[in-house]
Amino acid sequence: MLFAVFLPVLLAIFIPFFSKWKEKIHTGYFVLLAPLAVFIYFIPHVGNDFSPVSQSYDWIPSLNIGLDFYLDGLSLLFVLLISGIGTLVTFYSIFYLHTSERLDQFYVYLLLFMTAMFGVVLSDNVFVLYSFWELTSISSFLLIGYWNYKEGSRYGALKSMLITVFGGLSMLGGFILLSIITETTSIQAMISQADVILSSEYFGLILTLVLLGAFTKSAQFPFHIWLPDAMEAPTPVSAYLHSATMVKAGIFLVARFTPIFSGSDWFFVFVSGIGILTLVWGSYMAVRQTDLKGILAFSTISQLGMIMSMLGFGTSAAIYAAVFHILNHATFKGSLFMIAGIVDHETGTRDIRRLGGLVTLMPISATLAFFGTFSMAGLPLPFLNGFYSKEMFFDATLELNESSIAFANVLAQAIPYLAVFGSIFTFVYSMYLVFGTFMGKQKLDQLKIKPHEAPIGMLISPIILVLGVVLIGLFPNLVNSSFLAHTAEAIYGQSMEAKHVQFWHGWELPLYMSLIVVSVGAILAFTRKYWNGIYSFIPGKLSFNKVYDFLVDQSEKASAKITNVYMTGSLRLYMALILVAILVCSFGVLWITDGFAFENPKVDEITIQEVLIALTMAAAAICTVFTRNKIAAILILGVVGYGLALLFVVYRAPDLALTQLVVETITVALFLLCFYHLPNLRERTEKASQKLVNIIISVAFGTLMTVVAISAHSTKLFAKISDYFVETSYKLGGGHNIVNVILVDMRGIDTLFEIVVLAIAALAIYGLIKLRNKKEAE
Amino acid sequence: MISNLAVLPIVIPLIAGVLAILFHKKLKIVRVYSQVLTLINTGVVTYILFYVHQNGSVVLQAGDWMAPFGIVLVADMLSMTLVLTTNIVALACIFYAPKSLSIKQEEFYFYTFYFLLITGVSGAFITGDLFNLFVFFEVLLMASYGLIVLGGEKVQLRESMKYVLINLFSSMLFVTTIAFLYSVVGTVNMAQIAERVGEAEQTGILTTIGILFFFVFGTKAALFPLYYWLPKPYIAPNPVISALFGALLTKVGIYSLLRVFSLIFVYERDVTHELFIWIAALTLIFGSIGALSTNNIKLVVAYNIIPAVGFMLLGIGVYNSTGFSGTVYYLVHDMIIKAALFLLVGAITYLVGTSDLRKMRGLIHHYPLLGWMFFISAFVLAGIPPFSGFIGKLVLLQGAIEADRIVIAIIGLGSSLLILLSVLRIFIRGFWGEKDESIIPDRKAARGFILPVAFLLFFSVLLGVGAEWFYPSIESIGDYLMNPENYIESILKE
Amino acid sequence: MEIIMSILAGVLFTTGIYNLLQKQMLRIIIGTALISHGAHLFILTMGELKTGAPPILEENIKNYTDPLPQALILTSIVISFGVTSLLLVLAYRASKENGTDNMEKLRGNEND
Repeated sequence: MLFAVFLPVLLAIFIPFFSKWKEKIHTGYFVLLAPLAVFIYFIPHVGNDFSPVSQSYDWIPSLNIGLDFYLDGLSLLFVLLISGIGTLVTFYSIFYLHTSERLDQFYVYLLLFMTAMFGVVLSDNVFVLYSFWELTSISSFLLIGYWNYKEGSRYGALKSMLITVFGGLSMLGGFILLSIITETTSIQAMISQADVILSSEYFGLILTLVLLGAFTKSAQFPFHIWLPDAMEAPTPVSAYLHSATMVKAGIFLVARFTPIFSGSDWFFVFVSGIGILTLVWGSYMAVRQTDLKGILAFSTISQLGMIMSMLGFGTSAAIYAAVFHILNHATFKGSLFMIAGIVDHETGTRDIRRLGGLVTLMPISATLAFFGTFSMAGLPLPFLNGFYSKEMFFDATLELNESSIAFANVLAQAIPYLAVFGSIFTFVYSMYLVFGTFMGKQKLDQLKIKPHEAPIGMLISPIILVLGVVLIGLFPNLVNSSFLAHTAEAIYGQSMEAKHVQFWHGWELPLYMSLIVVSVGAILAFTRKYWNGIYSFIPGKLSFNKVYDFLVDQSEKASAKITNVYMTGSLRLYMALILVAILVCSFGVLWITDGFAFENPKVDEITIQEVLIALTMAAAAICTVFTRNKIAAILILGVVGYGLALLFVVYRAPDLALTQLVVETITVALFLLCFYHLPNLRERTEKASQKLVNIIISVAFGTLMTVVAISAHSTKLFAKISDYFVETSYKLGGGHNIVNVILVDMRGIDTLFEIVVLAIAALAIYGLIKLRNKKEAE
Repeated sequence: MISNLAVLPIVIPLIAGVLAILFHKKLKIVRVYSQVLTLINTGVVTYILFYVHQNGSVVLQAGDWMAPFGIVLVADMLSMTLVLTTNIVALACIFYAPKSLSIKQEEFYFYTFYFLLITGVSGAFITGDLFNLFVFFEVLLMASYGLIVLGGEKVQLRESMKYVLINLFSSMLFVTTIAFLYSVVGTVNMAQIAERVGEAEQTGILTTIGILFFFVFGTKAALFPLYYWLPKPYIAPNPVISALFGALLTKVGIYSLLRVFSLIFVYERDVTHELFIWIAALTLIFGSIGALSTNNIKLVVAYNIIPAVGFMLLGIGVYNSTGFSGTVYYLVHDMIIKAALFLLVGAITYLVGTSDLRKMRGLIHHYPLLGWMFFISAFVLAGIPPFSGFIGKLVLLQGAIEADRIVIAIIGLGSSLLILLSVLRIFIRGFWGEKDESIIPDRKAARGFILPVAFLLFFSVLLGVGAEWFYPSIESIGDYLMNPENYIESILKE
Repeated sequence: MEIIMSILAGVLFTTGIYNLLQKQMLRIIIGTALISHGAHLFILTMGELKTGAPPILEENIKNYTDPLPQALILTSIVISFGVTSLLLVLAYRASKENGTDNMEKLRGNEND
């Protein structure tokens, strides 16, 4: 399985070489090999005696991240869908994309996507699953942005990326929680600990986080907004990623975790509630679209909502129906996207208002479209697979379990009605789509090119898919026990009988529901012009797109606003903010920990001489604030420095005193040198309030330092290490001046690097002065 | 004898830097010389790392003055891992430098400053003495002052004033705080401080001193609300200098926080580490907001330093072995990717002539490789698998959740999205779009920039895909940090 | 006396920071100089004052003043000197180049 998963990426490495010959042989033919091989590799697994297979390869064992692949009925269904549709789409793309396009890039992205998708559905390790999950987002981003010279492509690419990565990150959060609670990273092992997860205090959070991942990926309300914009991608991509495979990854995720989550009643509320809402909203909105692919996008949204809601029901009938519909949807929606692409390709537009009557010009496409849309609409005809799954859906809505949550019961009551409502609109847009395009008056004058039937190569893929529609319609039990039952079992978590699906099962409620859908739908479809105005009320001007646009737009504008408030470039402000932060936290901590101490510190006696020096220094320091003469200010600063030198003398530090004297003298000289040519000190012109703030901050900070110093001095807890220096200075260091011995020997490294600092300073100063002269000379 | 190994990563660049003065005008020689010496140093450091990995920490008591009285240099797994990463970044920068710097800049001691910066950074990682740490801070800061003013442009001079002043203030706070601590515990040797703080059960005043240290290092590390000084000065000098700064300087601050708050001040975690968590959260939020606030691509990268620091502080704050491992992994990852990104946007700015995103479009048509490298960097930065950022982030988040810090974990996830948006929009607006025909591509220059960046990205990918080769060692560093007695014993064994 | 010295150092910090919060470069740099004086005084004070003779070994003297803080201060003085010198030249160059010594006018904008 490892090889199967990575085969597309391996092939992708060679694509740049193949694309060199693209004029002679379309690169797509090479690409075709990958999905086809995978399809052939996995198809033998279909059979009555299927049992799950797992394979493990080490990746990062120390983090419990391994390439653990697990093939059960669920992953098998998805792998076959991905590789099967992948083969057809690649084949279709050979005729869709002209060799003048940058084929190499297109196919590299596509292959990347295939690997990502195989990885998602086959991984048993949550973190590996997440990795592949993000890879699908990235490759989808690149494919949507394939024609990135178009503004819409860039917009759509970013939108899909942000929304799906948002979901991905949230899912990652959920996975980390899960892995910590269960102490495993394997999904199967987690399933066996479902009770541990359900009883965890974090269960609600986990459920929300993981479902957010699934809902964003599967374009569930209100995250559906990225999918219509993703239609900017080339049509093969839309057919593949944004209808048949990637958007179903969310469905897959929910299905994968159903054995764990379905133990909670909230699972039903979230998944079915959101699902049914998406179904209704998607189908309602689809009728409003004018772009063929737009209709199909909203249709996809609504169909995904339907599958999602069935997973939420959690009954065996519903799960079976969901699985059945995943397969059916892939067949008819895939074919419809390809037809839309053909129409676009052959007429130059996808605007349904400019299309019509194409049936005479494109008879084969039209026929295929009729099969696809009628199946989607759920017309009760025995050769359309869509009808069966819709009927099973209705059936499932009527058999919901009792729940302990009151709201869940209300929801359960409402679901059948909502299901019918959504299906009516599904019927309407299906009819609108096919009749608007292929029937009615021809409007050839509005088209740039004269339409004609597509080349046969382009038609092969949709034909195969439509054959699937019909075949499943005629023999609905064809793959039941050998295939779908395994899938349903994997989701349901316990063994279940293969359902016998039949066309006629008596005059029962689901059939009445279907009849209502068809009759009301037909009336609405026919009278669409008359009630179209409703869209100006609902949704009217409300749109989730606007929310997204607002958020993205504001993320920059608000960020700029917030940041510009404090990032003003003003040193004063920066310093003030930093000081306030230090003050607040330090005083806070001092207070909380009761750190202030003033307990009979061992103090030296106070002498007049020292007090005088101290007073002079303090006075001088304060004078620096008031003086307006620069020379005076510098000299006063010198007073402080020399005062310090005096203190060093008093406090038995002769070396320090000497150094301080020398350094202070040089510094004063430097000060004078540098500021001689600069303007004199001006009046301090700040506002009174600013002045007050400055005073408060500086006094508070001085106080903080003093308080900490006194407290530190009062709590001398340990003997100093210096006694050792006194003892060994001569014995080991060979010097009488202990400070000198410390400097050059015991802490010689300090001194060495102190000199280095000085040397660098000298070089930097030299550069500062010299480099300017050179520049001025130039 | 073998203990002398610990001093090599400091001494080699020191000597190299001093010797570089001798032929600072002979550019051809000094370039090759610097490249060769950086390579040699990297080799030596790699050897030491392996040695330490096999045989445990190497402790050098400088001048044979026994600890805690003399200065000790401690080459343990943590410090050597970071020194090696420093050298990897340095390698990329030194090969990039000749293409990016002007001849004047090179002549005016770039190479000396560069080597001494490496000296200071390595020294800060290796030293086991608090005051010596201050000295190494000053070495690296002084070298950075030399670098930031190199060239003497108006902008540089303006921004470097702010940079120098704020750093000078925090240095002064640093020495003062060392003095306070010395008063209480009577020593400046970190191992002994740790031992004594433990014995004293970290009384209130010690915690306050700890908080002051937090602010000293936090200012260097650019944490909220101390990072104001960072973004603008970092983009003022040449890109190669920005890369060195962005990759190394704030990381020394984070390293110091990691060391001090895993070793010394660990007894009042309800106060200190609790505070860190909240500061980490705010740093993440405001940093990523900052990254979104500008259209200057250099500034976007500079702002992105901040949320990364927030992530690392998060790992320190949660105080468990997973959190520490995550911080160290993220540290290594971040040093590499920040350097790569600064070099990348530097290259873009050089080639396009502006760093204003609004004036760019369709660059991928002219510079495809650069574009794709930027694309990958964006995902490395945002922590998308399978790159290094993912592993670091994953471990950090695991640490946070193990410690029941759900809220901060969610903030971390959310900020990843903002980070991704902040860099991806550069890709979308700058690289995608119609070809800008007015640009005459300078492919030759572009090629020169690509190799160093590719070298760094190689490590980003390796640290992600090949995480198994690194993570077990980093995990053991996490355990090591959780048990400070190992560190203390290795130094004060007698 | 340690208390008075702590207060004095506190005053040096206070005035230093007050100057640091001003606009004019000269004042700001004077502020940093005051702060470093304050810092050095703190180090000295924290090592306890006059607990013995100057730390130069002589016979018959047993008690010496703590030599370590003195060594640390010495290192720190030299380093501050280096930084201050650089800062001075930098301030001179920055104000010449930008035509003002008012830091509030040296804010810059997004793209330069």
